[in-house]
Amino acid sequence: MSVIAQAPLEKATIRKAARFGSFARFMRYVVTRLATLFVTVVIGIYLTIMIANMGGYVDQIIRGEIRDRITNLIALNQAYQQMDPDTRRALIQEKIALEEKRQGLDTPIAIRNFRYLSNALQLNLGRAINMTSDSGSKQVRLIILERLPATLLLMGISQLFLFFSSVFIALSLSRHYGNFWDKLVIALSPSSSVPPWFYGIFLILIFASAFKVLPFGGMVDSPPPSNTFDYSMSLLKHLALPCASLILSSFFLSVYNYRTFFLVYSSEDYVDMAKAKGLPSRDVERTYILRPTLPSIITNFSLLIISLWTGALFTETIFLWPGLGRTLFQAIGLYDIPIIVGSTIIYAYMLAITVFLLDFVYALVDPRVKIGQ
Amino acid sequence: MKLKKLYGILSVLVVLSMMLAACGPATGTAEATEAPSSMTAEPTEAPAAQVPQTERHGGWLDEIDVSVVDGASAISQIQAGAIDFYSFTLASDAYPAIKESGLSTTKSVGGYYGISLNPAVFTDTNVLNPFSNRKIREAVNWLIDRNYVNQEIYAGGSLPKLFTITTQLTEYTNLIDTARALEAKYAYNLDKAKEVIDAEMPGMGAELGADGKWQYNGKPVSLIFLIRPDGDGTRKPMGDYVANQLESVGFTVDRQYKKSSEAFPIWLGTAAKDGQWNLYTAGYTPGGFPRDEKALFQQGYLNTSIQASEPFISTTSDPEFQQLGDDLAQGHFSTKEERDSMMARALELSLEDSLFVWVIDQQTYSPYSNDVQVTWDLALGAESTNVGPYNLRFKDQEGGVMKVGTNDLFTQPWNTVAGSNWVWDAGIFRATSQGTSNIVGGGGLMADPYTGLAYPQRIDSAELTYKKGLPIKQNLDWLTVNEVDQIDVPADAWVDWDAKTQKFVTAAEKYPDGLTANVKSVVVYPEDLFDTIKWHDGSSISVGDFVMSMIQGFDPGKPDSPIYDESLAASIDATLTAFKGYRIVSTSPLTIEAYTDAYNADAELNILPLWPISPFGLSGENSWPILAISNLAEAGGELAYSSDKSDANQIENTSWVGGPSLEILSKYLEQAASESYIPYEPTLGQYITADEAAARYANVQKWYADHGHFWIGTGPYYLDKVFTTEKSLVLKQNPEYVDLADRWAAFSQPKLASTVLDGPGQVTAGEEAVFDVTINLKDTDQAYQNSDIRLVKYILYDTTGAVASVGEAVEVGDGQYQVTLSADETSKLQTGSAKLEVAVVPIPVAIPSFTSFDFVVVK
Repeated sequence: MSVIAQAPLEKATIRKAARFGSFARFMRYVVTRLATLFVTVVIGIYLTIMIANMGGYVDQIIRGEIRDRITNLIALNQAYQQMDPDTRRALIQEKIALEEKRQGLDTPIAIRNFRYLSNALQLNLGRAINMTSDSGSKQVRLIILERLPATLLLMGISQLFLFFSSVFIALSLSRHYGNFWDKLVIALSPSSSVPPWFYGIFLILIFASAFKVLPFGGMVDSPPPSNTFDYSMSLLKHLALPCASLILSSFFLSVYNYRTFFLVYSSEDYVDMAKAKGLPSRDVERTYILRPTLPSIITNFSLLIISLWTGALFTETIFLWPGLGRTLFQAIGLYDIPIIVGSTIIYAYMLAITVFLLDFVYALVDPRVKIGQ
Repeated sequence: MKLKKLYGILSVLVVLSMMLAACGPATGTAEATEAPSSMTAEPTEAPAAQVPQTERHGGWLDEIDVSVVDGASAISQIQAGAIDFYSFTLASDAYPAIKESGLSTTKSVGGYYGISLNPAVFTDTNVLNPFSNRKIREAVNWLIDRNYVNQEIYAGGSLPKLFTITTQLTEYTNLIDTARALEAKYAYNLDKAKEVIDAEMPGMGAELGADGKWQYNGKPVSLIFLIRPDGDGTRKPMGDYVANQLESVGFTVDRQYKKSSEAFPIWLGTAAKDGQWNLYTAGYTPGGFPRDEKALFQQGYLNTSIQASEPFISTTSDPEFQQLGDDLAQGHFSTKEERDSMMARALELSLEDSLFVWVIDQQTYSPYSNDVQVTWDLALGAESTNVGPYNLRFKDQEGGVMKVGTNDLFTQPWNTVAGSNWVWDAGIFRATSQGTSNIVGGGGLMADPYTGLAYPQRIDSAELTYKKGLPIKQNLDWLTVNEVDQIDVPADAWVDWDAKTQKFVTAAEKYPDGLTANVKSVVVYPEDLFDTIKWHDGSSISVGDFVMSMIQGFDPGKPDSPIYDESLAASIDATLTAFKGYRIVSTSPLTIEAYTDAYNADAELNILPLWPISPFGLSGENSWPILAISNLAEAGGELAYSSDKSDANQIENTSWVGGPSLEILSKYLEQAASESYIPYEPTLGQYITADEAAARYANVQKWYADHGHFWIGTGPYYLDKVFTTEKSLVLKQNPEYVDLADRWAAFSQPKLASTVLDGPGQVTAGEEAVFDVTINLKDTDQAYQNSDIRLVKYILYDTTGAVASVGEAVEVGDGQYQVTLSADETSKLQTGSAKLEVAVVPIPVAIPSFTSFDFVVVK
């Protein structure tokens, strides 16, 4: 039997070729993946624009509102009442035309849509149509940036607390499957069908209205305390109810989900085998249960982090929390497309980047996953 | 066992939920209807604080903390002590909850609702529009039980509305005989409505089917009803009620629930003849104290309406009504009597036309804690009350910190040229400014919150001259009024502005052949004006502030100006069509003449004292250095006063309280201060010295360093701190304010009247009958002063509810009047139950008091 031995040079060449092949495969994957994600973002944003302006129907709505607002303004202004009807009508028409121009209604909808899309993709967020930032600017970038800290604070605290407490409690419950607390969580999990704003109303009734121990809404006391410590305390006091409502509305279902998830993994054959081998339960949990669940948990955590961006539309509104959710809620009501698109494009980019990076993270935490295969 | 425990816990949660739900507001009973007021007949004394009760200057409170509060929780927040006063208004459906809570409340006119009817004959000849028939439109009035709507939908807290004019306010009271007679005529009467519809429909080609439904060309007569479920939510049940009533007389109703954004394009955006709608639940809000509503007939019914859109342009009115409505709107009458008679006839014709069938005049409420004293405008609500901040206080207490909640703050950037005009923002502006009348340009006056008239605040004397024949009436005696054949505008009066030369254009230059005006007002300011009135930054007010404000009213409309703004130009040009000139007669004391062709029916509201306030009708005052640096920033292309210009040029909108504007303004402030810059120097150089300019800029710099914003006024409170993201602000008392805190104490509470009518329960037809009228100040036993009563009118209704006679009661004592029905009057009554109604029209408030007495007529 003859053995063909490879020369060192050949080995290096093969290794190099293999490395190059891997790199090419990797690059091909990266380019394809990025292109796919970009196309998805483009389609998503265009659909958002189309939905936000209802395929052009919003133009009709805005034209009607402009006419109504301007005629009423003129009608209520005494300076115009003795003006002859024809002059007044001409003036109204002139003001309507000016306002329509200001809102961009003199440009065809298709052109506007592509302009929105192109600007959005370049992260040129532009100017709002009707809304202004609290400090008076119409730049969408400033409107979003002004509200971002409040949203990150509220969503960050509530969602991170929700995530970590759910995972740890679920893990504990999965260890004690069928005990009282496990059954209680199962029984209470339908409570998550109630939206957070509904809990918010209840919590306001109990803690603000009846017990008078927490504020009804807002972000800080009025006027806001001047020193940092008092300001922080005031902030925490105002955070309590909105955070509680966000946590309460998802807590039991979230624990239930993770608990079921862990239970599924803990009933795998290899876990039984590990237990049968007499491995300590801590090792079984860490190596045989938690490790395989990591990709899913990391995915959930990553999506949770980017979901902080969107804020909580109704909860922020109920608690007058000056966050992005409330801004988006107002923008939808006012058909302020640049703000809707601005908020969406940032989310879309963050989502795309997260999805892209997750592929690499999966490969890092799970040896079975190979990039590009 | 575990399950039992679990059920136990769940049961406790359910019981807790039910208990909390039971804590919700219960429905309450309606308050007795009050009545409105009228134009006062005789000149009366201006209200003044009697003997000064305080040494305190400026506002009563040390500090007012304003923040944004959700209206839905306003009552709970006051009860919990989180706020003391919710200054924005709540709709009348909140009234029972306010009563239940035991809190105090303001009560003022809110929006009004009605049904807009499509008057067109549809292009599709297979579809019948019954409302193209005026008689059927008129019949809809009988279909609607407005009292039912008020009780069931508005918790009895609003007023049934039949007319386009505001129910139970100035015009209504002025036309009380006609109004009450028409209300009796158009009272709910389903049979009458059906009778008219049954008589008219066959003539239009419809026939009543066996199922009791109207048919046209073999198909049911279906009415498309656009019902708005949004807003305060009351239009939906109102629309449903009207739809039910229409169905009860044989129509088929297609109820289409659409939000404003969906309904507007159909209601206003489609041709009425296209037949995309038949009825729409319309709603409007008043724009000011409605003392003069003569233009409403044209606005609401005629094809010459200011709302030059569908369905108005598609309506064809009765020629008499068209002429009357147009004449009233254009002021084509020469005496008050002629105007009243035209208004009375127009009321009648408007109901026969019924392009709109009005249903409800909403009343709105602002709740406040019982230890708080609030002054509010009966027509505009607390936040729009000019005197409101002056009188806001804790009862029997000087000082203190008041927590005020409102609906929003900083909705748009704050500047006085084209900035925020939102009612909550304007409420703050009022606290930092001198008072104004409710008329644009009425600075230096204070609006009476109960009548809509005005009193002098910062002027010494005023004289009004008007062209003979104009229907102008003097109500108060603080001004002198003259009537002349012709008013010539002096040659040196400033009639326009030349942006290139930066000088005013005189009458002689622009009108070499001479110029006349309808009205001339001459205002003399106090001798010590420039010593006593200080801006919040410590500077004294100066002639420069007055002249700068004048210039600011013209310059943005001139294409040659570096601050030209297309969006303001149209308004400035429109104002110039009536404006005829200003003339500074003297600067010590400051004396300014104003000439204009625009006039108001009330003499007091034609006095136009110049004051450094917004020339564009916004609230807030203009310190000239602030305008100067803002103009520099606008000329430099970095900021724009209006959102239109800022959008067009992609630059920031000028805000004097926050955002990127502050840094830009600060930069220009440094520049102006370093140069002692005098704006519009060819003109203002005559009034402002370089030293004054330097001192003024230095004061603004210090102010900005201390407070971080540029909002500077002269009012009883100054804006101390602004928190734009937190949506709150702090107002502090201005101890340097010239007036004592009780300057407007006479306006603390409205002098509403309550009336009791008593007399025989049985009246013999053909015999005289006497009834006693007792008038007290509302909620007291104190008799209403007869000198404060303009008129006590009685209206006798016969057994059918129609008006049998109208007359005036006779004064018999303090707050005591007597109605004597003559033998002749009673002889016209049939046997049965008749009614006597009395309307008391007080002078100090625009709301009359009504009461009635039922009696039996026997032969």
